Amino acid sequence: MENQTVRKFKWFWAWQDEKEEAWLSEMAQAGWHLKWPAFPGIYTFEADAPRDDVYRLDFITSNKDYQNYLQLFQDAGWVHLGSMGGWQYFRKTRQGNESPEIYTDPESKVQKYRRLLSLLVVFFPIYIVLITNSPSDATHPIYQIGKLLGGFFVILFVIAMIKIYLRINQLKRL
Amino acid sequence: MATRDEIEKYLPLSEATCYILLSLVEPLHGYVLMQKVETMSQGTVKIGPGTLYGAFTVLEKEGLIVKVHERDRRKSYMLTSKGKKVLQEQVRRSEIMVRNGIEITKGW
Repeated sequence: MENQTVRKFKWFWAWQDEKEEAWLSEMAQAGWHLKWPAFPGIYTFEADAPRDDVYRLDFITSNKDYQNYLQLFQDAGWVHLGSMGGWQYFRKTRQGNESPEIYTDPESKVQKYRRLLSLLVVFFPIYIVLITNSPSDATHPIYQIGKLLGGFFVILFVIAMIKIYLRINQLKRL
Repeated sequence: MATRDEIEKYLPLSEATCYILLSLVEPLHGYVLMQKVETMSQGTVKIGPGTLYGAFTVLEKEGLIVKVHERDRRKSYMLTSKGKKVLQEQVRRSEIMVRNGIEITKGW
């Protein structure tokens, strides 16, 4: 008999990865285990006995040596649940009091956020170019809405870059 | 032939990187290395897969380690002569610092 599955919708911004990790752990402790991250904001969970699992998200920008990457995590005891736009979802059961980590020092953790920031920084100007090239004689409401949405996303981009930059600074140590 | 500047730009190494280089005097692959570092450091330094994967990528790119073997999607690396020089210089500097440390914190 197959275990019951349920789909949940919850939105996490790129800079809220630790919040997302904590939420997935809470769900596992309540007996709902992430099956795979289906789509941004949509999670598929499977019902099973409650487990004290730790979830960690990595962010990679290159798929070079992806199989080696996955093998290394597997050897270290992490289960790979899937990937979504560069984000890699891993899970490991907690043993004892310590939480297992995929990044064990701040320097390497900074690299993850740097990759994320570099992606945003690269796409931001491209995005600006795209949205500022709308037809100049466009008075139809759909273009007005489009401009509003475009403006909204520009602000979002900027917020994301600032938040991630601050996170990087937070991690730098003495 | 690595010049003095070329070596010094990598220093000081982080604890994790230093232990990774120390371990790679003989060819090792990922998980075995993680265990070896934990044992060698007497539990003071643990290396996670994310950290290790990043370190391997950078160290290989900078020519401090080289891939010697690959099997079952696991790469084994080893120190290069440049890597040995960097490690040697780091150890020399660390030793000076530790001697100072032991001297100053004697009897604490």
